[in-house]
Amino acid sequence: VAERRALGPTAPLLGLLALELVAFGVFGHNFLTLANGFEIVRASVEVGLLALALTAVIATGGIDLSVGSLLGLCAVVFGWLAREAGLAVPLAAALAVATGTLGGLLNGWLVTALRLPPLIVTLGTYSLYRGLAEAATGGVANYTGFSDAFLGLGQGTFLGGVPAQLPVLAAAGLFFWLLVQRSVVGRGLEAIGYAPEAARHAGVPVGARLRLVYVLSGACAGVAALVYVARLGQAKADAGTGFELLAITAVVLGGTSIFGGRASVAGTLAGLFVLALLQNGLRLADQPAELAGILTGMLLLLALALSRERKAS
Amino acid sequence: VSSRAVALVIALGAALLLLAVRAPRFFSAANLADLATGLAPALVAAMGMTLVILARQIDISIGSQFAICGVVLGLLAKAGLPVPLAAAAAVAAGAGLGAVNGGLVAGLGLPSIVVTLATMVAWREGLRWATEGAWVRGLPASFQWLGLGQTGGRILIVVTAALVFAAVAWGLVSLRAGRAVYATGSDAEAARLLGLRPRRVVFGVFVVMGALSGLAAVLTTLQFIDVQANAGVGLELRVIAAVVVGGVAISGGRGSSLGVLLGVMFLAVLGPALVFLGGKAHWDRALQGAIVLLAVAGEAARQRGADRG
Repeated sequence: VAERRALGPTAPLLGLLALELVAFGVFGHNFLTLANGFEIVRASVEVGLLALALTAVIATGGIDLSVGSLLGLCAVVFGWLAREAGLAVPLAAALAVATGTLGGLLNGWLVTALRLPPLIVTLGTYSLYRGLAEAATGGVANYTGFSDAFLGLGQGTFLGGVPAQLPVLAAAGLFFWLLVQRSVVGRGLEAIGYAPEAARHAGVPVGARLRLVYVLSGACAGVAALVYVARLGQAKADAGTGFELLAITAVVLGGTSIFGGRASVAGTLAGLFVLALLQNGLRLADQPAELAGILTGMLLLLALALSRERKAS
Repeated sequence: VSSRAVALVIALGAALLLLAVRAPRFFSAANLADLATGLAPALVAAMGMTLVILARQIDISIGSQFAICGVVLGLLAKAGLPVPLAAAAAVAAGAGLGAVNGGLVAGLGLPSIVVTLATMVAWREGLRWATEGAWVRGLPASFQWLGLGQTGGRILIVVTAALVFAAVAWGLVSLRAGRAVYATGSDAEAARLLGLRPRRVVFGVFVVMGALSGLAAVLTTLQFIDVQANAGVGLELRVIAAVVVGGVAISGGRGSSLGVLLGVMFLAVLGPALVFLGGKAHWDRALQGAIVLLAVAGEAARQRGADRG
């Protein structure tokens, strides 16, 4: 098993990254600049947080389709608490992350206690969480006017240009790398993905581990919501729509098997930047935004087909 | 008759009774006709989804298929093709889109959830690129209600949906192909050993799903004078919700057409009932999500009760 563990991004993925850098460097305006590099990082932190957490979920053979909706719900909760209820920003932020954690706990509970398939559970909560966000705001409320100190988290820089949210992504990346690829817990997650019953017999606490990955996924959606609101300066019910697809695409591109059992955190980050470069580069090359969506879908299918080849070989 | 069907009849009866007491206007002829016409396309799509889920697959690209087929219908009708022919072409386009899903899932053995997630986005963005969000306008007079007038058009739409329901319900029980769908969803390997061809079955259900998404788009689009460029967003969840609430097991191989019909009716009544009873329409989505979770949780509890004997 050891040699099949994907420790880093695969050669095709790094090739794709290099190809994007060259192509957009030639055809994009001001693509290969440090400022644009930071801009790409800034735009990809929220999806990155979701993708890192999904790497652990998918390692167990599960899936979480509700992360984008939960991001929307947490954003609305935070906006309401900070702007309508007048809570201090740190307290509102903590409660928003707690909301995400609770949302993840509900997913984890339904998956483990009732033994329901993660796909249908998170499809249900995908509607439920987005629906709660819509209901709470009546579909129209948009919370704005956050303090400059809070907006700094999403719009500020340090050390002459580094986006303020980069440390958040770096910390999450380190955390999930240690968890998934350098700990007994991570070994257990992959074992669950290979064969849940065998993992149980080998002494892996399957239920507790599954609850953990869904709770972490919810908590990450809460943190991502804060970064999102700080970056855009507004909290609406539609925040994070479609983010689940981007996050899953980044994970699968990165070499984590959609069937579970094999996960790569570094690969997920590489996959994330392949997608981010694609969106940013196409825009700077004056191509329509829809093209990025079409290519993202095609990349996902290609990555799947290739990962199946690797699995078969 | 399954316990789920009984539960749904009771829930539906209770909702209608409550409406009869609190908001009798709900039963006005105009509202019931609105309800039936609105329910028809959802039923057609749900019958396709029933086949897909019975075969242990899922298709979340149907909202995008729906949007493309509606635009195809509008553009062909505008180009002067007779509307029935344009409708047939839209259904064929849907079957083609379904064949892409089917090919990727059955041919390459890729998981349907991710394949259809990818095609959902690719089709939607592709359509947005092609139409630039512009609606199809200036359609011939023979387009809306097929030129039959509102009453005639509504009857045609509801009858078409009823025929599709009857055909799928009969086929699932009485045709070899229908039994093969159940067998494939229960245990693909056992089905193969029995001499069935599970991969063909899987390919087939995606093609039928695509064609029925196309037909649902036709039945919806013909109710209006313009064609929206961005129709069908979220359709997949409403349809999957109806099928799951109707008692079809998400793990494949179990479920009945009658249950699905009741599930579609229950969810179709829920939204309008909420409004008639003075609730807020934007709670609709949260409620639908909660009902899906309740339905699968109830199924799991019943299943475990049955296992314990």
